[in-house]
Amino acid sequence: MLEQERVAESAALSGRATERLTNPYLRNEFGLETIDLNVGPQHPAMHGLLRLILELDGETVVRCDTVMGYLHRCQEKIAENRMYPAVIPLTDRLDYFANMHMEHGYCLAVEDMLDVEIPPRADAIRVLMCELMRLASHLPSTGFLMLELGAFTPILYAFRERERIQNIFEAVTGARMMFHYLRIGGVKADLPADIPERIWEYVESLEANLQRDFVDLIEGNEIFVARTRGVGRMSQEKAVEIGVTGPALRCTGVDFDIRRDYPYSWYPNVEFDVITDTGGDVEAGYRVRIGEIKQSIRIVKQVLEKLPEGEVMGDVSRRIRPPEGEGFGRVESPRGEFAVHVVSDGSDVPYRVHYRDPSFVNMQLLQEILPGHYLPDVIAIMGLIDPVSGGWDK
Amino acid sequence: MGTVIEYLNQEPWRFLVSFAAVLFLTLNLAAILTMSERKVAAYIQGRYGPNRVGPRGLLQPLADVFKLFTKENLSPSRADRWVFLAAPIAMFIPAAAIWLVVPFAPGAVVADLNIALLFFISITSIGALGVIMAGYGSRSNFALLGALRGAGQLISYEVPLILSMLGVAVLAGSLSLVDIVAAQDGGFWNWYFLPQFPMLIAFYVAGIAEIKRIPFDLPEGESEIVGGFMVEYSGMTWALIQASEFALMGLISAIGATLFFGGWQPPFEFLDFGNFNWIWFGLKAALIMFSFLWIRWTLPRLRMDQLMDFGWKILVPLTIFWLFITAGAVLAFPSVFG
Repeated sequence: MLEQERVAESAALSGRATERLTNPYLRNEFGLETIDLNVGPQHPAMHGLLRLILELDGETVVRCDTVMGYLHRCQEKIAENRMYPAVIPLTDRLDYFANMHMEHGYCLAVEDMLDVEIPPRADAIRVLMCELMRLASHLPSTGFLMLELGAFTPILYAFRERERIQNIFEAVTGARMMFHYLRIGGVKADLPADIPERIWEYVESLEANLQRDFVDLIEGNEIFVARTRGVGRMSQEKAVEIGVTGPALRCTGVDFDIRRDYPYSWYPNVEFDVITDTGGDVEAGYRVRIGEIKQSIRIVKQVLEKLPEGEVMGDVSRRIRPPEGEGFGRVESPRGEFAVHVVSDGSDVPYRVHYRDPSFVNMQLLQEILPGHYLPDVIAIMGLIDPVSGGWDK
Repeated sequence: MGTVIEYLNQEPWRFLVSFAAVLFLTLNLAAILTMSERKVAAYIQGRYGPNRVGPRGLLQPLADVFKLFTKENLSPSRADRWVFLAAPIAMFIPAAAIWLVVPFAPGAVVADLNIALLFFISITSIGALGVIMAGYGSRSNFALLGALRGAGQLISYEVPLILSMLGVAVLAGSLSLVDIVAAQDGGFWNWYFLPQFPMLIAFYVAGIAEIKRIPFDLPEGESEIVGGFMVEYSGMTWALIQASEFALMGLISAIGATLFFGGWQPPFEFLDFGNFNWIWFGLKAALIMFSFLWIRWTLPRLRMDQLMDFGWKILVPLTIFWLFITAGAVLAFPSVFG
């Protein structure tokens, strides 16, 4: 009840704030004295290089401007000057917490234009790697959320788990972060012989630790609930209107997941549930992430059980020249829908590449829902959206 | 040899020597606590912690101090220079001064004031001044927010802190810490944590708020206002602020041990070590300090409105209620509660 009052009050307040800003007469009339707080781009809780210009009345946010571009690397323009396979290592640098998904989205888009059959084993390995990547992204994001609420320890538990996944990645791909593992038409190399067993052991141990380290420690904490329940609450309509995807959308109750609704790769062969929650606040976002971690473990186990035999690379020529036309690929990255649109003019470099990154789109939420919240809530809401600098700035 | 000690036992030498000893203790306590904080944090998080400088990393505080001494002491160009530089001193002096009234062992107290509790209350309140000075002098929005939070928090939590100590004063019939310790002799069942258990909880919580540690570290608020009132400090001024916070943390533990756990009183009569009873005092204070560290590395931070709600709507009524019960019991059964 109190929370609803506060939300209603915040809506009223933000409406007043926008009018007040445009009208100097009203500014004097209300006598609100606000200060501008420049948060970032170098700020410990800004998930990279984000700058928020907050107008504060006391500790209440009345206006928020997001300023992006501090990590802009012209990814789309550089891609226009590179041959098709040479763009894949660039996509690794987009959302550096979900590199596999970035590679996967780009490969799907190019394969969309080519007439190429991807071996089932390659597809299964792609799904396996993507789901491990999702674990390696969701675990730290719950840790980051706690870090932003002031508890330092869960992030280190999360990074301990991520470290083990990175060891697996290192054994499979040779790199810990910038993999360049997926190729147009398949994957670079088959899994090493001992890897399926190692992955199985790892997910078993994660399953055993998850409840203790990430649920009881976090959700069982009164202060966590007090800090997150009702904070950053958004309606389904608002989330859909902005184009929010991923856990931030599913926590409002919208049942949407690219993996199930627009199946790609090997996902039709595995069973999983799409986790939704009705809260639409930071706590619900956290619960959705924990649920998805469990589903990812389930998918990984199914893939390992049903891993098909055979080649891992399709019949793709060394120099890729897609016919004139357009290709489109969309994947469910840990932060939401990652889509790639590639236009080909028939040469061996793309005519245009466009990335639709979930971090960028989800962040539009900030200006909408921040007014009326307190300053510490701003940081908690950043934990709900969990954007990644390399994603929104490309 | 004997003459030197006799000579030192006379005023003002006794006071000067013991004051130097207390200052030595305060500064070393900060070093020990930084080290133990990093080690405890490391073990909670499954790491090793500092283990490079000296045996098992034990000389790490020395390296820290050396680093901080050699660092340039920056101050913002628009800062109010004198206020900015005076703030750490205004925070450190009260934190060190209160140690004067703490009884460490039988007879070992620098100044046996008959109003020691009042002294403690009034001097800790000055600490809030330092926070406000730091935030105002830095002339930075982050620091200002931190200072305003600090002012609100420290002043509000002073109330339950004072009220929680009054129950003990009523039971002991004295404001002198020496008398309060003397009133708790004869085994742990005579310590005040049993009849004053709600007050102990209130004292503990308000004490954490008073020393600005998680879950009440809003003036620092590392993830949102990046250090709050001390965001602009560097080098030795920053070290002085840290030292005063650690001294205050040790102090709250020491006062808590004195008021509720019998100070230097041993838990059983046969464990009485005479002059060496400071071991008991140190042990009790260290356990409370460890619990502060434990909480610091486990819990997230409260929000300002929740902090205020908790202080005024739960702690203050609780302490007032229990104060009336204590006073009523003392009035009704004077033979039991002396």
